Amino acid sequence: MPQTLGQRSAAYAADPATGAAVAISLRGLSKRFPVQRTWADVLLHPTRIEYVTVVQPLSCDVQEGEFFGILGPNGAGKTTLFKMLAAALIPDMGTAVIHGLDVTRDARAVRRMVGVVMANDRTLYWRLSAIENLKLFGALHGLHGVVAARRIEEVLRIVGLEDAGTKLVANYSSGMRQRLLIARALLPRPRILLLDEPTRSLDPISARNFHDFLRKDVSAGEGCTVLVATHSSDEAMGLCDRVAILNKGALLASGTTDEIAARFGDQTFVVVTSRPDHPAFASLAARGTIGAPSVGESENGWARVSFTIPGGDAESAHVLDVLTSAGLPISRFERSTLALADLIQRVLSARGERG
Amino acid sequence: MRTFFAIVRATWLSASSYKVRSVLSFIGVLTGIVPLYFVSHALQPVMANVIRGEGHQYFAFLLLGTITFSFLPIAVSSLPTTVGSSIGNGTLEAVVGSPTSVGTLLAGLMGYSVMWTGARALVLLLAGALLGAALDWHHAPLGLGILVLIFVVHIPLGLIAAAAVLAFRTPGPFPQGVLVLSSLLGGVYYPTHVIPSWLERLSALFPLTYGLRALRRVMLDGQSLGAVYKDLGFLMLFIAVLFAIGLLAFSQALDYARRRGTLSNY
Repeated sequence: MPQTLGQRSAAYAADPATGAAVAISLRGLSKRFPVQRTWADVLLHPTRIEYVTVVQPLSCDVQEGEFFGILGPNGAGKTTLFKMLAAALIPDMGTAVIHGLDVTRDARAVRRMVGVVMANDRTLYWRLSAIENLKLFGALHGLHGVVAARRIEEVLRIVGLEDAGTKLVANYSSGMRQRLLIARALLPRPRILLLDEPTRSLDPISARNFHDFLRKDVSAGEGCTVLVATHSSDEAMGLCDRVAILNKGALLASGTTDEIAARFGDQTFVVVTSRPDHPAFASLAARGTIGAPSVGESENGWARVSFTIPGGDAESAHVLDVLTSAGLPISRFERSTLALADLIQRVLSARGERG
Repeated sequence: MRTFFAIVRATWLSASSYKVRSVLSFIGVLTGIVPLYFVSHALQPVMANVIRGEGHQYFAFLLLGTITFSFLPIAVSSLPTTVGSSIGNGTLEAVVGSPTSVGTLLAGLMGYSVMWTGARALVLLLAGALLGAALDWHHAPLGLGILVLIFVVHIPLGLIAAAAVLAFRTPGPFPQGVLVLSSLLGGVYYPTHVIPSWLERLSALFPLTYGLRALRRVMLDGQSLGAVYKDLGFLMLFIAVLFAIGLLAFSQALDYARRRGTLSNY
């Protein structure tokens, strides 16, 4: 017997493992596209159609209010996944259910709940001002009159464009257009926010402010579920509660950022010091508290010394204490960032696959 | 309805930001009527008998034909053109990705062009009236209703062309073919009975033939609704059949584009 909308809502209401409400549930979701063919190929094999799989059958749940990162290189399938979740692209197989609504069958209802920022500023009307753009897209989401005007003012303030609202979008910088895209996505107060490389065109200060805003106002404040697609492992690991690593359309791993760091990180730390040959390093290494230190590039007399701390974060405070007590001049002490390529390579190695 | 007007407003703001183009568009209307006036007066002695039953003054005959035909490119070409350009610049995916119904979106995307053409047609009509076009103004409401029907019956052809753009990135020769054949066989510049009989049979396939004939009988010959009901019946039949085909084609093409991920292609 077919399920009613209400039954489906109930079926996806909670994660059986954690008891938390499930906002997004993916089950075997996949997508493939026909490959563009050359004229010679079309003439030689007129009936043949070749496909490239962009998203391999993907299953995972995202809990309500969660900050979820989709981490992957270009071509990993992040944008395609987001388009399917935004009901802009019909999946080939599997289901994607958002707050109990299927993205294919209940597409219009899903679009009411989902705000999306794609990595393309051409989706704005460049011959209109920011306010006129927002008025139009507000109207498309049922926002009109005074309510729309207030909300437009609010979102422009949030993204820091309150003084540029009447300016033509054609005259905006790429960073301003990116902020306008974000304002447009926030306009209808979405329950789910999909951000495809949201800080791509933002300067570092704007990017940091935007991260703070996402954490405090959107995720914690409004209980909005946020999915961020990025190819920056720093951004994903620093911003999100949980992360899924996607490569060539396949889900390689998922888990909390701590879990991912513990499973695939290597506990490498970096100290920037003016005394890279200080005996404290050798002393710690001899005791096994740190691995063998290696001295890297030097700039203005300050060198990067990197070493592993087998005890991880818990032991790192102790190491710092020992180094400073020994009188070592330190300008920086931090965990080494893990490049995405390295992370993917380690995940593949852990799965016994080759990159 | 508010959403429809919001789309129209945005399109108007966007189009009117090209100021020179807007001004030239109106100047073109006013200068266009001059040759119409002189040519029609030169041909009046020849055409007076030919157009009998659809008026008696060739200038008014030609004026109504020109005004009516000016709406056809909007119905047939504006939608595929808008869809094509908004696929190219990425806005189609953004607007189609909103919860607004596709019907409202399409109406909104065409709305501005229709209103702009309506304004230009009104200017042309008033200029024609000032130059002495003999129109039966008492039948203006009925005439307007027939004009609306003529416009509406051609919208599905625009939907089919837009469907082709969604599926194949080009409408092909379809919109241009419809416009050229309608202008030649639909009775825009001469009544359809003057063309060779084998071609006249073809003109029966074009809804413009029935619409223009009815419009001229009402507005130029003073005939009543009862005299044109057969032509209007054919128009309604065309509307029913063409809309069924047009809507089916467009919804299938939209579904295809959503599966292929080709709503944006820039």
